[in-house]
Amino acid sequence: MKFSQRTKVGAAVACVASFALLATGCSSAGTGGSSDGDNIELTITTFGSMGMSDLYAQYEKENPGITIKANNIDTGGNARTDAFTKIAAGSGLSDVTAVEEGWLGSIQEVSDQFVDLSDYGADKIKDRWVPWKLAQGTDKDGRIIAYGTDIGPEGLCYNSAAFAAAGLPTDRTEVAALLGGADATWDSYFALGEQYQKATGKAWFDQSGFIWNSMVNQMDEGYYTADGDLNVTDNADLKAAWTKLAAANAAGLSAAQTQWDWNKGASFTDGTFATFMCPGWMLGVVQGQVETAGGDATGATAGWDFADVFPGGATNWGGSFLTVPTQSKHPQEAADLAAWLTDADQQVAEFKAQGPFPSVTAAQTDPALAEATGVSAFFNDAPIADILTKRADGVKAQFKGPDDSTIQEQVFGPSAISLDQGVAGDKAWDDAMTLFDQLITNK
Amino acid sequence: MTRTLEPDTSAPAPVKRPGRASALTYKHRLSRMDVKLSPYLYISPFFVLFGLVGLFPLVYTFVVSLNNWNLLSGPGEWVGFDNYSAELADPLFWNSLFNTMSIFLLSSIPQLVVATAIAAILDQNLRAKTFWRMSVLIPYVVTPVAVALIFSSMFSEQSGLVNHLLSFVGVDPIGWKTDVLPSHLAIAGMVNWRWTGYNALILLAAMQSVPRDIHESAALDGAGFVRRFFSITLPSIRPTMIFVIITATIGGLQIFTEPRLYDATSSTAGGAHRQFQTTVLYLWEMAFQRQNFGKASAVAFILFIIIVAFGLLNFLISQRIATTDSRSESKRAKRQLSRTLRNGAKEPRA
Repeated sequence: MKFSQRTKVGAAVACVASFALLATGCSSAGTGGSSDGDNIELTITTFGSMGMSDLYAQYEKENPGITIKANNIDTGGNARTDAFTKIAAGSGLSDVTAVEEGWLGSIQEVSDQFVDLSDYGADKIKDRWVPWKLAQGTDKDGRIIAYGTDIGPEGLCYNSAAFAAAGLPTDRTEVAALLGGADATWDSYFALGEQYQKATGKAWFDQSGFIWNSMVNQMDEGYYTADGDLNVTDNADLKAAWTKLAAANAAGLSAAQTQWDWNKGASFTDGTFATFMCPGWMLGVVQGQVETAGGDATGATAGWDFADVFPGGATNWGGSFLTVPTQSKHPQEAADLAAWLTDADQQVAEFKAQGPFPSVTAAQTDPALAEATGVSAFFNDAPIADILTKRADGVKAQFKGPDDSTIQEQVFGPSAISLDQGVAGDKAWDDAMTLFDQLITNK
Repeated sequence: MTRTLEPDTSAPAPVKRPGRASALTYKHRLSRMDVKLSPYLYISPFFVLFGLVGLFPLVYTFVVSLNNWNLLSGPGEWVGFDNYSAELADPLFWNSLFNTMSIFLLSSIPQLVVATAIAAILDQNLRAKTFWRMSVLIPYVVTPVAVALIFSSMFSEQSGLVNHLLSFVGVDPIGWKTDVLPSHLAIAGMVNWRWTGYNALILLAAMQSVPRDIHESAALDGAGFVRRFFSITLPSIRPTMIFVIITATIGGLQIFTEPRLYDATSSTAGGAHRQFQTTVLYLWEMAFQRQNFGKASAVAFILFIIIVAFGLLNFLISQRIATTDSRSESKRAKRQLSRTLRNGAKEPRA
């Protein structure tokens, strides 16, 4: 196992060295004699709406001898269970396995189970990504284990019908200016919410959990310090943000919705809440929820719009990666496929198919990105690509530790719901700290 | 027999004996082996399979539970029974155990009562018997996943059917997914919906094996339906009842699918505040979300011991009931029957 990997590494190094002279035929040289001319079947596992399914046929056409067997899992959570189980079992992982940012921290703990993509040509292409995305996919020994697919820069979704009812402006540039434009803060966001709530008696945002995720993702250091130490107990920044969120709840700004359910989507169509936290990949979710509830998914009357503003400044929520596990028998071909799928042209195609925003700079500036899609029509013809590009500016990578997703979902998740249900902020915070001790400190 | 053999043993024939005797004993041995071993050989596939898929995982789980074992990075150091003591001191573990017991009691008791009642009704002379009997089994055919999705939608708090119907009689919306008792009731409802008909059919089969003439003679003696049900039917189906109770206990303590899918969007399996997180759900989350395989194995083993304890308890109680009641009762019934028969036979003669 070790030996063959070394020879492959050697072959890859030789391949890179000779690349200047022999620009073509590199990928077939790197695989060694075993698969020269043979048909190679590559497996790939993705999840959610990554927009890749239409690209496989093109890759097979351009690379004779490669057959792609694809599998798409419905949600990131199920994909995590799938991947974890197969890592634990030591077999069954696909040649190319997609990983979500939220559980990348756990994957980094066992990064030796994934090949160092630098051995398979990562060094040539590593400049294509926004730097922080590349940094997230690099382990503590400097090995590149993951190629970035999409990122989740956040803008603000708002319902223009609800805004009009409260006498607020509905034009997206005016809405952005109203919240303070580039200087928008959570205070100005909640203050406008109170104004809206007084005017209409309705809630401002859907539930506290997504607000809290956004607030934490925005900090330089979240649940972990940059050095990888736990950073929750006695963290004044977290507590201050929590207090703000609790005050907003006390003012009646939360609609206390169940996240990922939203009353089967109906709350997106009946004006239950007026604003919504929208990373790029969430736009398709909003459209899908309106469709589920039987609303107008083409957008003419749904009233949803997308503003180039976010409280507290630029932030990223979510985004995914492609990895090649050491279990793969064809690491070179798998790495080539992962590299191709994350290249600029393909990321543009993926964005157009299902809306994940590119992590590759050349794709972000590609004029083709701005072409109208079904998603932009739904959001009142908002220039989604343009807005997301601006929202991606200034995003920094936050270190995500191994227990990051557990802290988000099981420590603060229940307490955020408590806030929605009217529990006092201090009590909910203390409950979260108790859970933190139970689940994380004394695990 | 012994006498005819005696001279043979005392017979002085040392030359002939070994060859003859060994040929005989060889055949003897073979046939004896055949008689003695073959039955075990025939049933061995079960035990080999059980050893592979039952016993080995059991032992392996126990070994894992003694280690600090991470899901992804694998075995860590040996910690002895630390995982057990940590779990027994963990309020979240006890919460899961409470939820399991609560859902178990809320489902098993009404389920058995209703199943027995349905079986008693089906045992009567109904028209279109097969139709009714098949209909009660229909819920069992539907997969638990579909049942959970339907119930989850029906008990949706904001726009669910149940809260909507309750609003007609002026009842405020109930927190079917946020409050402890309502959520337990809803999940127990799912279990009951699925298993009541199945248990009713098993009990019906037992009821049908009760001799009709006992019923008839009791009816002739003036015993009404209720009296016959409690005095004849129930005592006679006791062994089957015990079987149903034990299987319901084992199933009830291992409940997973229903609470898992009842609120599938929740980031914590079994409700945001673990309102209906059962023990199996807790150990699943411990293994695959919190990635602590050692502790999850410890929980699995504790659960195993609890189920065995419940099974033994059931067995002992039922054993006592069976010996004190049904045996003496059946004896009494037999004695009575033979007495009446004898008397009946005598009477014409006299």
